[in-house]
Amino acid sequence: MKWFRKPSSAPLWQDEFPVFTAGERYVSRRQFSKFLTLTSFGMLVGNLWILARSVFYRPPSYPRVPVAAADELAVGGVKLFTYPTAQDPCILVRTGSDSYVAYSQKCTHLSCAVYYAKEQNRLECPCHQGFFSIADGSVLQGPPQRALPRVALDLAGGQLVAAGMEGGGA
Amino acid sequence: MNTDPPQNRGLTAIDGAMVLIVVLLIVQIWLLSATLESYLAGHREAAMPGAIISGILFAACLALYRFVDRIDSEVRKG
Amino acid sequence: MFGMEFYVDPSRCIGCQSCLKACEECDTHRGVSMINFDFVDRPESIATAAYVCWHCDDPTCAQVCPADAIKKYEDGIVGSSLKPRCIGCSNCVLACPFGIPKLVPEYEQMMKCDMCYDRTSAGKRPMCATVCPSQALAYVTPETIAATRREKPVNTFWFGNQKITTKVYMMAPADAGAIAIDVADYTWEGEHEVVSQAF
Repeated sequence: MKWFRKPSSAPLWQDEFPVFTAGERYVSRRQFSKFLTLTSFGMLVGNLWILARSVFYRPPSYPRVPVAAADELAVGGVKLFTYPTAQDPCILVRTGSDSYVAYSQKCTHLSCAVYYAKEQNRLECPCHQGFFSIADGSVLQGPPQRALPRVALDLAGGQLVAAGMEGGGA
Repeated sequence: MNTDPPQNRGLTAIDGAMVLIVVLLIVQIWLLSATLESYLAGHREAAMPGAIISGILFAACLALYRFVDRIDSEVRKG
Repeated sequence: MFGMEFYVDPSRCIGCQSCLKACEECDTHRGVSMINFDFVDRPESIATAAYVCWHCDDPTCAQVCPADAIKKYEDGIVGSSLKPRCIGCSNCVLACPFGIPKLVPEYEQMMKCDMCYDRTSAGKRPMCATVCPSQALAYVTPETIAATRREKPVNTFWFGNQKITTKVYMMAPADAGAIAIDVADYTWEGEHEVVSQAF
């Protein structure tokens, strides 16, 4: 770390452990400033990581997975499933006799599991009162910043099939 | 007229520089969280300007730190 | 601090040891005196000299302490060893050119004069200077010294080629002016003299 330190005739231990109490105040301030600068560098690394991820992004290919039979749920009924992998919980809601929506169940705030609140007809996260619209998953209120990623559904031969994810491209 | 003993004179400048660093850091924290949120939402075009501005903020923090170091060694010599 | 400085004039010392007893009374180190009291040439004369720590500008004791236990404060006073840090290694005892720090074996702690920091930081005189009847140890303003003494205060000492400047002044002969004193001249004459100490 030699380049990080201003060239000084005194050895490092003498700078860090001064005999004069007045000098000790400088040591604590210098150490704090150094710590803050390193934190700033850490955040720069974070931004660069995001940049690298976005530069090397390839749209993923999603499998087609059957989720439920078309008449399995009543109107206003809910089914939980996993898509695209077993670690990705999703929620399917029958909003009308002919309309179904499905979203990732992980709240975009801190990944708590959202549930369907039938009376208010919206998806709610119990952790910090984040509410999502059932129509498109957009945020109605609360700390989440992003809409819930939507699962693209195909109705094929009386079967609901999950065919892809939208809005979660990361 | 500055009546502080010689050792304490550099402290005001250093305190000011530290406050500036903290302010820049707060901005950088916000920038990182905003960039992350927009990336996760799929708006990948925000990543480049975010990284550039974060780099500028870090360069400013580094310059302020080297200023602190310079005042420190100057006062020590004197 | 408060415009007063410490002046040591060994030629005024009458050997009453009041300074020793007054120093001992301080509650923070009761029973242990921090005065360095010398019988200059006991077989031959009754001359005595009492010294306090010289509070050097660049304290050798602090520089050699491996535990960072000795600190010099902003007003120039060099403190005694910090209790949690001192390891009793005697590095400072060996290093001090004036031989001031003492290692107290019961506490495994170095103890030395800190110019009664609790008193001087509040504007009072150190205990020794307060009780010294001949004012061999004096804590007054430089103007008072200039007005009442023939000797001149000196705070530069040469040990061989090493120059040591101190906060405490030694009174030197008037005709010598402001010169550096070779302390070796004061401490002994002849190779086989033993300087005995009061404690």
